[in-house]
Amino acid sequence: MTHLGSLALYLAFLLAVHAIAASLWGVCRRRGMWTQSGVHAVYAVFACVLVAVIALLHALVTRDFNVEYVAAYSSSTLPMQYTVAALWGGQKGSLLFWTFILMLCTTLVHLQNRNKNRDLMPYVTATLMVIAVFFLGLLCFITPPFERLAFTPQEGSDLNPLLQNYWMTVHPPSLYLGYVSASVPFAFALAALITGRLSDEWIRTTRRWALTSWFFLSIGNLLGGRWAYEVLGWGGYWAWDPVENAALMPWLTATAYLHSVMIQEKKNMLKVWNLVLVILTFALTIFGTFITRSGVISSVHSFTQSGLGPYFLTFLILVLTVSFGLLFYRLPELKSENELDSLLSREAAFLFNNLVLVGLAFATFWGTVFPILSEWVRGVKITVGPPFFNKVNGPLGVLLLFLTGVGPVIAWRRASLKSLRRNFLLPLVSGLLTGVLFLALGYGHYYGLVIFSLAGFVLATILAEFARGTRARQAMLRESVPQAFGRLVSKNPRRYGGYVVHIGVVLMFIGIAGSSFFKIEKQLTVNKGEQFQVGRYTLHYSESKNTEDAHIASQTAVVDVYVNGQKIDTLYPEKRFYKRQNQPTTEVAIRPTLREDLYVVLGSYDAPSQLATFQVFVNPLLSWIWIGGLVLVLGTCITIAPNPAERRALALARVPATPTGETVAE
Amino acid sequence: MPSKAWLLVALLLCSSVVAAAPALTTQEVEEALTCQCGCGLTVHSCNHLQCGFATPAKQEIAQAVSEGKKREEILAAFVTRYGEKVLSAPTTSGFNLVAWLTPFLAVLVGAIFVSIVSLRWARRHPRAYSATPSRASDTAQYQQRLRKDLESFDA
Repeated sequence: MTHLGSLALYLAFLLAVHAIAASLWGVCRRRGMWTQSGVHAVYAVFACVLVAVIALLHALVTRDFNVEYVAAYSSSTLPMQYTVAALWGGQKGSLLFWTFILMLCTTLVHLQNRNKNRDLMPYVTATLMVIAVFFLGLLCFITPPFERLAFTPQEGSDLNPLLQNYWMTVHPPSLYLGYVSASVPFAFALAALITGRLSDEWIRTTRRWALTSWFFLSIGNLLGGRWAYEVLGWGGYWAWDPVENAALMPWLTATAYLHSVMIQEKKNMLKVWNLVLVILTFALTIFGTFITRSGVISSVHSFTQSGLGPYFLTFLILVLTVSFGLLFYRLPELKSENELDSLLSREAAFLFNNLVLVGLAFATFWGTVFPILSEWVRGVKITVGPPFFNKVNGPLGVLLLFLTGVGPVIAWRRASLKSLRRNFLLPLVSGLLTGVLFLALGYGHYYGLVIFSLAGFVLATILAEFARGTRARQAMLRESVPQAFGRLVSKNPRRYGGYVVHIGVVLMFIGIAGSSFFKIEKQLTVNKGEQFQVGRYTLHYSESKNTEDAHIASQTAVVDVYVNGQKIDTLYPEKRFYKRQNQPTTEVAIRPTLREDLYVVLGSYDAPSQLATFQVFVNPLLSWIWIGGLVLVLGTCITIAPNPAERRALALARVPATPTGETVAE
Repeated sequence: MPSKAWLLVALLLCSSVVAAAPALTTQEVEEALTCQCGCGLTVHSCNHLQCGFATPAKQEIAQAVSEGKKREEILAAFVTRYGEKVLSAPTTSGFNLVAWLTPFLAVLVGAIFVSIVSLRWARRHPRAYSATPSRASDTAQYQQRLRKDLESFDA
């Protein structure tokens, strides 16, 4: 089966090269047969990569330890779900998985556009297949996943214990989907630049792809945070590790793009800027991969380090050179009628929103690469860790939260000072009252209060938007409140889905502020039967239990939780020892509530004395981060939902532009 | 009313600032140091409770703080032993200042650029500086938008 996998990869490589050549030849010579051949080659590459994935999965599931990858990332006692997840647990497998998702996206794009975008598609095919050729080239010639060992080991080395967690089954695929689907808007942008078809067509065609990419990047980052929170046992969820930063940066530029693209659609402005953002987002996904694989920057995600750095760097330089070269070439044709009706307009607010988002991406990039710069300039290794990012990105994040509230208050085109005063009043009062409320509840930290007040301000602006829209429908169409509200959202899912996403983001800000500024933590060593106080909780260490199977030896502490003398729960923090990797891990016990998380870590346990060391955190409001994530998912689903008005706009975009150049607005 | 609201916010913030004047804590120093065990976290956050670096470092910091040593003094002792990489953030002097200033400068330059560009674009529009407030109320605007939506829906 592994021979078949290897063969499939070589065949996929050749077919991908053919797809590029056939598409370009076909479009240059105006021979439909060749472009069609390119499309068929895309489907064939997908089939070949699918065969390779099945072959590697087969090797993993059948425990074929003669395959180097299987021996390095699995063992005979590894549970089946992690054996399957080992497909993306190591360098070679994850590259194969990446290629598989890329080909899945490429195939879907070609199926979607069978009878559409005929001028753009050959270039889209060529661009996506150049990316595929790069990854397939690595898999065929640099880091082959089906490499066999000279001997067959009795047992595999096992998957890293930190990866033996259920989030391993969803977090990396989400992130990869986010990274890879960013290739589609990039490919269409490049096709638009090559063909000179620079109208909104490529933007409207790829809107759902851009949203999908953003959606999976959001989910990937959130799940990564949840994973860190549950597995790493330090009471936090984001450590500003270079690899975490690498996933955050394309999310930030993609968010900026999703906002600025609205200005292009409505006002035919910012054409160059939108292309820059699409290129940057894709380039940052490659940069992230470079960071993860190269080891140039020390990271806790070192399990995927290898010598692939130079290849990714070369590819990154190629991507940037070609993309910005084409952009420069097309600059004269990209001059749009940039005109603002007023400085007090949503367009202007969006420009500043974009500035802050890109500023955040730059600050994250700068902090991530500064250690390399320092070593080059001074020859001194330094660390740029959480204190730097919290101090630099924190204020920018707060500014972004403020702008999130300002956007809905200001009208498109122009807003009068009078209407601004009227629209700002209720949100400002709400923000102030929120601050006072949190202060009364005991959340007295300066920075935290600013964030809570802004959260109240932003929520009020969004809810007021829903209320005004519903009232307007009621007045115009005599609809009932639920009917008016439902139709308000369904008639314009893009706008109101976006607002729901904003609500999710605000809730996440509340969770971040609560858990960052009001955290309580305590570390102490106690005897069995002893109790101790952390915040409002009394914890009683009642007993300890030993369990052992072929894979894991585990020590569990039984901790009863009391509040005001009333027993409310029993927690089971655990210390595990993974036999194959000879590595201990902590299994955190968490008691989440809307008010706060009680987070208990069993740090160490001394069997003879039965002394146990616990690290206990009380993380206020932390659950709101995950709730905000769910709201964000809901909002994105509403935004992606089919919209008849959008379909009509897309159909209009495909016909020659009207003399006024106007497109259908929302 | 908005100006009063701002005043209240300012008062709230000032009172918080005045209230916050804490003495040096071990956490403050621990968070300024990166654990050298490879976990990538600060000494304070390192979750390896028997960590070869964080555990003795925490003891040393607690001792130094109880002796009344200053934050910079304690950190300098660590830098002497392990080099600058032991600090969890760049210092605020020399070349390291570039790390701190560049992001803010970049955003500032960006803000100036966006402001200038916005002004230029607004000047192109004849009504950009019109002080006449929009007569349409919010509801009227929504009704207008709704009418437009319905028209395009029926089209």
